[in-house]
Order: sequence, then structure tokens, then C-alpha cells
Amino acid sequence: MSAPVSETATAALQEPDAPIEAPQGGRTPWWANQRIGLLILVVALSALFGVLRPAFFNQQLVVFPLLRDIAMFTVVGLAQLCVLSIGHMNLAVGRMAAFSMMITGISYDLWHFSLYAGLLVGLVAGAAIGALAGWVIARTGVNSFVVTLALDFLLLGLIPLVYTALTDNAAFVTKPPGMRELRNYSLGDVCIGNLCGSPAVPQLTLFAVIAMAVVGWIYSRTKLGRELLMTGTSVKAAELSGIPTARRVITAHAMSGCLAALAGFMLAVSTGSIKATIGEEFMLPSFLGPILGGTLLAGGFISVWGTLLGAALSSVIRKGLDLLGVGLESLNIYLGLILLVALSTDRIRTVLSDRQGVRKR
Amino acid sequence: MNVPSLYRRTAAGLVIVALAATGCSTKSSSDNSGGTTGNDASTGTSSGPVTLKDGSKVKLALIPGGAHPYFQPWKATAEQDKTEFKLADATFNETGEWDQGKQNNVINSLAAQGYNAFGIFGVSPTDINSTFEDLKSKGFVVGSLASCPAGDTDSADFCLSTDVEAAAYKAAKAAIDAMGGEGALVHLTGNNVDSNTQRRIAGVRKAIAETNGKVTELSVITDIDTDLQTAQKAVADLLASKGKEIKGIVTTAYNPAVAAADGVATSKLPIKVVAIDDDAKILSAIKSGGVAATVTQNPVGQAYVGGWLLALLGSKQCTMKTPGVTVDSGSFIVTKANVDTYDNERKAKTVELQKEFASKLSCQ
Repeated sequence: MSAPVSETATAALQEPDAPIEAPQGGRTPWWANQRIGLLILVVALSALFGVLRPAFFNQQLVVFPLLRDIAMFTVVGLAQLCVLSIGHMNLAVGRMAAFSMMITGISYDLWHFSLYAGLLVGLVAGAAIGALAGWVIARTGVNSFVVTLALDFLLLGLIPLVYTALTDNAAFVTKPPGMRELRNYSLGDVCIGNLCGSPAVPQLTLFAVIAMAVVGWIYSRTKLGRELLMTGTSVKAAELSGIPTARRVITAHAMSGCLAALAGFMLAVSTGSIKATIGEEFMLPSFLGPILGGTLLAGGFISVWGTLLGAALSSVIRKGLDLLGVGLESLNIYLGLILLVALSTDRIRTVLSDRQGVRKR
Repeated sequence: MNVPSLYRRTAAGLVIVALAATGCSTKSSSDNSGGTTGNDASTGTSSGPVTLKDGSKVKLALIPGGAHPYFQPWKATAEQDKTEFKLADATFNETGEWDQGKQNNVINSLAAQGYNAFGIFGVSPTDINSTFEDLKSKGFVVGSLASCPAGDTDSADFCLSTDVEAAAYKAAKAAIDAMGGEGALVHLTGNNVDSNTQRRIAGVRKAIAETNGKVTELSVITDIDTDLQTAQKAVADLLASKGKEIKGIVTTAYNPAVAAADGVATSKLPIKVVAIDDDAKILSAIKSGGVAATVTQNPVGQAYVGGWLLALLGSKQCTMKTPGVTVDSGSFIVTKANVDTYDNERKAKTVELQKEFASKLSCQ
């Protein structure tokens, strides 16, 4: 059942010699759980910023845009998580979003598609460009880092060319009906009888909820998810178990491209137009969310909730520092320091938990 | 990975999120347009619209797209606005990092802290109208400063900006004059996928087209305004490969201007350079003859007149007769002949701008 390109795929995956020691949730105390640690940190920082600046809890001006950002960066993180699950990286995650949104923009501007038909076209384009990256990796055996970096450069040149040729302002400015509403509407506009959702929660967050549910379902309930994780843990073992690893490489990258497209759409909706620079800021946050949340760089273990919490942590810190009026020169220093402290406390918790475990034994 | 438990946790979490999200409020007929500004108009009667009667409830924020030398005069001018117009507060915030999403966050954070009048240089001219609409719907007053939204619509109360196409046209004309009206011209500029860059390219091409083929555009080099090093490398490469063919260089972005002035001076090639803005390096190059001319803009005028206008609108003393009106803040050719006196011309333009806007206001 092995795919014809499996040997090169094996080479490309470069799995570590030692098996990865997956976290063993059952033995660790609850306070040592990375996700719970992150959740506590997010809540504590929110409370701290709220005390220092009560405006932090302003529903319209702070919470609404903050949740919109967290939702978008969660989807960006999930895009990276899919390839991390097989031990790969996608350095073109931002440019894939830009490419997909370019196709979506064309579908709105030239083909007059509706909002969701255009989104669908973008998702398909994202999946296709992702699958192409996966296919090249599986076919050639070249490391995913190199292939996606090359793809990033290729798209960096291609996208502006298309925009310059097709638009006057380097952006597709056609707004299909519903786009403006999607940007501004909250769950407060969704009512069952007299009971409505919170006006602080943007409707755009539903896209992130759906993406989390689908990705969570794939990795936890389907054979495909298990095969992806096994491929990430050990390609050789996966192949010996009859898993078509080359196809799984393509699938993981296609999923990544599709989610990058979704994140690009969320960004386009929340800023107002589809432009060539969409996704330029995606790459670092795409790693930050999953890695903070416990997803392993080496593959084999993912955390959907961790990705949400990782994205939330960095967004909350940035928003809090904004409100505290921290200047540009110090903002990124504080951001880096707080993240470093967050990760260090996480490591301290793990060490304490391990020591406690040893003592018990 | 414990697969089933992950699914259970995911499902349970999503249910909690959904419940929390949907169960938080009861219907309040229409959303949120209530503004947080709460500024009452100053009452006075009509004795000319220009003098601000009461700016004490206006908190002014001047927000460029990110850090850039061009906007540094805004910082001091924000302070000047605060003291001169007796505003409740005035701030300058450049933490947008040239990302529209981050700039929107900065704006929202300032609004949450009580700022109610915004002078904004939008990072993305194609997106900024959405930001303006958001702010206006919440009752804030907004001016688009130093750059107008792309397209025909401006959702801000006004736009006070350099007409970038006209400025680029002036710069190219100055370069063509310095070249003696013939030869190959190179255009160095900023981010290609920015509508303002496209307007600058159009302005330069318009000037070239008027020469009926005597001047040719050798190349347009874009995306070199990210930092000085990038611009210096591009200029060095250009001069090494085509230095002898080039008769003139017109720059419409800050870093390429500084790099071209330095590069041509070092190479000693007989190339006429027309720069942009009035950085000290460029001014000294004009004095020494290394740079033929520069096109300066009016950042102080934008921040001063913009602040004054926002205070008038924010205090409810005035309204725009036609919201979304665009006024050119001016661009000025500086050569060796007027390098010591051009600022007077700029100050005169600032006074003129106030008069021009006064005629576009309807005041109590």
C-alpha cells in the first residue's frame, strides 16, 4: 500500500532517531498541564490589564477586535499545526493566504461571485497550492523548509504581478454583499426569540470555531488524523504499518493551505479589502500559537486548544501593552519578555511536576 | 496523544464557548451606535468659524501607519495643538508597524481610552475607509492625514494630504529640467502594491509623456523604501549596471532619495537626482550641488491644520459642508536657489490651508 514516492517522502521527513515522548496527561497533575497553564496566564493577564486599564473590558472597542484577532490567528496557527503534525513546516503560510485571496478577489471582481462562493474558491485554491507544496516535498524528498521557502519567493513575485495587471490600486476592492456585515456584526445580532449572543463576540469568530472543530475532529476521530500523527512520529513505522505517507504529506499541506486561505479571508473581511499584502504578518504567529500551546515541532502531537490559547496569549499581551500606552521602542521588548516568562513558568511547572512524580514513585 | 480525550475536550470546550457566546445578553434592538465621545458643542454664536471656542472636551490622536522620519514633526505638532487649542489631550502613536490590522488595534485602544478625534495616515489606502466608517459609526471625528483613501470615496470627515501624483509629477518635471529635457530617467519608489505608489508612478509617467519621447523611463524600481540599506544596495546595483546610460534619477520615497543622493555623489557620475522630503542629508546635498532638487511635503501643516479642524469638528462647533472633502496640503520644489527660504512658502501654505478649510465648514 506504499505510495510510489514513499522513499523520497521518508527522506524528506527526516524523523528523529529517538521516539518522541508524548506528554502523558494521565500522570501529570492538573496544574502542570500546559493548556491549563496557558489558560490561567491568559485570564490572569486579562485581569491585570483590566485592573490597570478598565478600558480593557470595553466590549465594542477592545474585546470585539481582540476576539476577531484571536480567531484569525488561531486559524493561522491551525494552518501551521497541520504540517507540524507530520513534522514539517510551512514557511509560505502567509503567501498561500495571499494567493488564495487573490483568486477570491478575482472571483469577486471579475466573475461577480457571492461572498461565500468566493470564499469557497479561495479555500480550494489554498488547498491546491498547499497540495502542490506537499506533492513537491513527497516527490523530490527535499525538506519542507526549503520547498515552502522557495514557494514563498515564487508567490512573492507572482502575486504583485497579477495585482498590478488586474487592478488600479493593487487591491481588489469589490465588496460582495454581506462582507461589511460580517466585519461588523456580532453574536448580539444572532437571536433566538428574545435571547441574543454577546455583542462582544464577532460573528467572524464562528469561522475559527468551525475550523477548530473540524481540525479537532480529524485528528481525534478519524483514521486520517491518526495516520497524520503516526507519519509525524515516525515515517518508517508509519510506512511499515501500511500508511501511504506520501499521500499524507500532500494531505497535511493541502489542509494547511486551505486553513491559510480561511485566515486570509478573515483578515480581508476584518480590514476591508483583498490586497497583495494579505498574510505578510502570518508566519511568526503561525508558529507562536501552536508551539506555545504544546504542539510539537518534530511532529506526532498537536493541540487545537493550545493553539487557541497560544494565539490568545500573544494577542492579549499586545492589546494590554497598547492600552498601557507602551511606545513602539519598548512594545516588542515587553512582548518578548512576557512570552519568555510565560514559557519559563511552563517549564518550571513541568519540572516540578516531574519531581513530584519521581517522589511518589 | 490521547485521541478520544482530545476530541471530548474539544467538543466540550466548543459547547462552552457557544453557550457563553450566545447566552450573554438579551436583545437590544440595534447595535451599539452610541458613541463614547459625548462631546457637547461649545455654544457660542457665529463670529467666524476659524477660532476654536472650546477644545477642552477633545482628545486628539495623530496616528501614522508606523514609524517613519516623515511623521516625526507630527509628534511636536500634536503637543502644539494641545497647548494652542487648549485640548483635553493630544497624543502621537506610531505603533501601527505598517500593518492595517495592528493600526486598527491601536486606534481602537486609543478610542477605548477616551480619545475622540483621530488624524490618521492609513496603512492601506484600500482598507482605510472601513476603519473610518467604524469610527464614524461610533460618533468619533476622523481626518485622513497625509494620504487619502484609494478610489473616489472618502469616509473620513476630510482628507488633508499631499497629492502624491501631483508631487511626483512636479519632481519628474524638475528632474527633466535638470537633465536638459532629454535622456534616460530612472524612478525609485516604495511599495509596489500600494495604491499611492501606483499614483506616483502615474505622475512620473505623465511628465515623461509630455516630453514626446525626448525623455525615456529607463526603469521603475519599487519596494526599496523598507530601509536605507535596501535602498543603498538597489542604488549601488543600478549605478554599477546602468550608471552611464542614466541622465536623471527621480525618487518618490524617503530611503531611495537618501540612498540616491549618497550613491551618485560617491560614484561621481553626472546624474541629476531629484529627491523627496527635506532630510538634513538631502538639504546639504542640494547646497553642495549633489542633488538638483527635492520635493518637500507639509507634515507640520497636516498635523497642525488637521488638529485644528478635528478640534472644531470634535467640539461640535463646526461640521463639514461636504464630508469627505479632499485638500492638497502642498508640495514644494526646493533647489539651491530657495533652500534657505522654502519653509516660509510652506508656512504660508499652512495659513492658506486654514482659510481654504474655513470655507468648507459650517459653524455655529
